[in-house]
Amino acid sequence: MILACSAWFWFAVAAFAHASLVETSPVDNAVLTEAPATFSMTFSEPVSPLALRLVKPDGSSTSLERFVLRDRRLDVGSPHDLAQGTHVLSWRVISEDGHPIGGSVVFSIGMPSATSPEAAGQIDWPVRTAVWLAKIALYLGLVLGIGGAFAVTWLGRSERSGSLASLVLLGIGLVGAALSVGFQGLDALGVPFERISDAATWQAAMNTSFGRTAVFALLASVIAILALVANGRRGRLLSLAALTGTGLALALSGHASVAEPLWLTRTAVFLHGVTVAFWAGALVPLGLALARRTPSSTGMLRRFSGTIPPLLGCLIVTGLLLGVVQVQEPLALFTTAYGEVFLVKLALLVLVFVLAALNRWRWTEPAEHRDPSAMRRLALSVAAETAIVILIFGVVAVWRFTPPPRALALAAAQPTVVHIHTDKAMANVQLSPRGAGQVEASIDLSTGDFEALNAKEVTLVLAHPSAGVEAIRRSARRTAGENWRIDQILIPLPGTWHVRIDILISDFEIVKLVGEAEIHP
Amino acid sequence: MLKKLSMAAALVALGAGAAIAHTTLEAQEAPVGASHKAVFRVPHGCDGKPTNVVRVQIPEGVIAVKPMPKSGWSLEKVTGAYAKAYDYHGTPTKEGVKEVLWKGGNLADDEYDEFVVRVYLTPDLPVGKMLYFPIVQECPAGAVERWIEIPAEAQSSDDLEFPAPGLKLLEKAGGH
Repeated sequence: MILACSAWFWFAVAAFAHASLVETSPVDNAVLTEAPATFSMTFSEPVSPLALRLVKPDGSSTSLERFVLRDRRLDVGSPHDLAQGTHVLSWRVISEDGHPIGGSVVFSIGMPSATSPEAAGQIDWPVRTAVWLAKIALYLGLVLGIGGAFAVTWLGRSERSGSLASLVLLGIGLVGAALSVGFQGLDALGVPFERISDAATWQAAMNTSFGRTAVFALLASVIAILALVANGRRGRLLSLAALTGTGLALALSGHASVAEPLWLTRTAVFLHGVTVAFWAGALVPLGLALARRTPSSTGMLRRFSGTIPPLLGCLIVTGLLLGVVQVQEPLALFTTAYGEVFLVKLALLVLVFVLAALNRWRWTEPAEHRDPSAMRRLALSVAAETAIVILIFGVVAVWRFTPPPRALALAAAQPTVVHIHTDKAMANVQLSPRGAGQVEASIDLSTGDFEALNAKEVTLVLAHPSAGVEAIRRSARRTAGENWRIDQILIPLPGTWHVRIDILISDFEIVKLVGEAEIHP
Repeated sequence: MLKKLSMAAALVALGAGAAIAHTTLEAQEAPVGASHKAVFRVPHGCDGKPTNVVRVQIPEGVIAVKPMPKSGWSLEKVTGAYAKAYDYHGTPTKEGVKEVLWKGGNLADDEYDEFVVRVYLTPDLPVGKMLYFPIVQECPAGAVERWIEIPAEAQSSDDLEFPAPGLKLLEKAGGH
């Protein structure tokens, strides 16, 4: 337990959230006069790159190996021999919640090619389906398998119904946890199924936060198997440890485990996982015992119905809490994929609760007095509940692919970022808030080799010639070191703006950096 | 057709107008390994304000700098070390004037003047390339015009807002 707690705090320290791409340089669909020296991508949160590729106009692709991570920004060195035509920069990164995200930036040098090279970053449905199925198998083991072992050892006592079913579910869970690692690796690197035998694929997955979940799931499942094999007090202690493992495994990766405040959300995910496993896990052993009308099935039913109300309360409270944190705006329930999944889960939960209420207030009492028809109906109802719980697993596993509204809102709140890098100088411009209107500009400068750049004067020039907006000039004031700021500058309309930063280095030396900014409406 | 022609004419006029407004060099080319009289033409002040100071930066490879004094202006020379020693008629020269300043004058915005420096263009300078002399005009109340932009590889001075005046370096004159 102490070990579990200390592991808990260790994981709770890393504070990250689901990442979204905020800005790229060059911007998508840009037409450049010269090949860029670097590509850069800014995310809403720190990320690590998994796979970076450049597809050239002739369709050939090269892996980009030179990159620098600077907090939320990823600078990628460009190959020197870029030809004229349309290129696709395909990127894939992973954020702390263990979910890889990817996409492409299309840009052209000189003129766009007549036929664009195939854009990468499309959804690989076989891999996605495999990730989903393995996730369901993982849930079957973690919740029904481990929960079943817990129910058999704590609620069943002399009643051993459900032991075999729990063992089978634990077996499914073990296979699911192991395969999940491989599939997560495929998804993380964005490679097809054939690469499943590559050690690098598995290594990539283990380096994500999902690796921790898999390790805890495997350990907890093995402990649960030992609990079923052992008897009495030792079995109960082992199954308690396994149940704790379920909570830890679920809290160590996923969208909900990275939402701020971390101590709250991770604790909520942990409690949610433990109570789900306690409740849903008891269904299979209980249903089997009732169906067989074994002598001690009534004792098991009494213990279950006696402990469940406070646990159900905990389940609902933690579930609501996580829902509020993730969805934020009620409207997002209907406007985002994440919200829709949430609604389907809620609908299924209502069904489960209706059945649970029927069980409790219609059939539990007569069943405790060994009324045969009540026991049969209760067994059937419990079977139906179990089936719906498995459906819920299928629905919840879809969340793996839908960023929560919280992360989407976080991305929208990010400033517009323009990154310009030449041999002479590099500038990182942030225009906040995002979008057109009155913004504040913050400009960070350095030399092309990331050395300090001590400028004398800095001027920001914005223009949108195609919309007839001529150059808007504002001189910046130095705030500290290499940071320059313009308190207010009006960007009158959205679109692709030309951005120029004039850096006066000495009386006789000026560097002009030219780039583009995508201003959102 | 006529419309097209007049458009073209208007464009030429605009271009020419812009060129006149720039601070430029009178002679646009000069041979290396020889003395050269550089005449800087300053056609106006900073956005209507008179010019009080004219500063010329002497590029590397240009030595033996002798500015011509002007009445009404005080002359200042900023000296410093060169990147390497240059041969000036047999004398190795390691340091010299790197910036020339005419100060305390008052050249009104609607007046024109010339500022002259005699220099020696060392044979080390790259023949066929342009040599640029960045110039700064200072006016009252901190107003400044900086003719200091140097075109990049694919650019020409016409692409720039504030190009530095330049001259094309020619082959060393033969015969002696």
